[in-house]
Amino acid sequence: MDGNKEYILITGATSGIGCSIAVNLSRSYNLILHGRDEEKLEKTKALCDQGKHLVLYRADLAASGELESSLAGLITEQGLQIAHFVHCAGYMKMLPLKVLTLETIQRSFAVNVIAATLIVKVLTQRKVNNALKSVVFISSNISNFGAKAFSAYAGSKAALDAVMKCLAVELAPKVRLNSVLPGAIPTEMTKDIFGNKEVVDRMLADYPLGMGEAGDIFEMVNFLISDKSRWITGQQFVVDGGRSINLSA
Amino acid sequence: MEKFESGMAELLEVDTVDASDVLEGFEAWDSLTSLSIIAFIDENYGVSVSANDLVAAKTVGGLKDLVLTKAKKA
Repeated sequence: MDGNKEYILITGATSGIGCSIAVNLSRSYNLILHGRDEEKLEKTKALCDQGKHLVLYRADLAASGELESSLAGLITEQGLQIAHFVHCAGYMKMLPLKVLTLETIQRSFAVNVIAATLIVKVLTQRKVNNALKSVVFISSNISNFGAKAFSAYAGSKAALDAVMKCLAVELAPKVRLNSVLPGAIPTEMTKDIFGNKEVVDRMLADYPLGMGEAGDIFEMVNFLISDKSRWITGQQFVVDGGRSINLSA
Repeated sequence: MEKFESGMAELLEVDTVDASDVLEGFEAWDSLTSLSIIAFIDENYGVSVSANDLVAAKTVGGLKDLVLTKAKKA
């Protein structure tokens, strides 16, 4: 534990990878759990270790214009000091170009990129929060590659990783930023993919280590927020069971 | 519901579609087109169908019936 009053902010903590990370980190850290839905936030809170402080932060990250003031307000009102930030909130809609909509592009970028950037901005404002040490963005292994129907999502994740690299340079040496690029993990967000047996069978063949689970992502995040990774910043860490290096026909 | 036929024709890259046309019989039929059709139905009818639903519906008419039935329930 990094001190009594220090917190980790986890966005998208109410489902999938974010929820798994929250539950695991709650054993060692005070947490601010972010989500859109009050009920789901309470559920995640109940799953967490109750020995540490747990603060709930409800906000729609797609509402970019309200984000800075709502987060700064929460921090100031409750006297929080946020030492680590994990951006797990993600919006994914698989749409081929011919049915892609402006709304999908905007929401993908608002939640996946703009929110992450604005949150780091708030967390590095001296008067608001002077404790930030490390940041981990949950990106995707699609970030460095391409796939049909993924232009909005992959575009936003590539942008997120570019923001990560720039801020890693800009905020050094005080703050370290890295991203974790998971392969497909069965969660609420990917239920449409995993609901299709044919797709799942094809995917299994592409993953040398088989399918992963949310806990596999937590292990990398835990390392990257901790001081064990003190000399690592601005990097993309692919955790995808070997999917993206597999060139087998 | 004419919008349904014209939308399907555009996504399947043909001029017109008939109710009896088999979905998997279209030259443009692939996983990407099936994704596009799912998105088109969701966007225009507020109905969520799966890739398995498309296969089970078999024809353009079958799919239209499915969408109408689901839209009524919603």
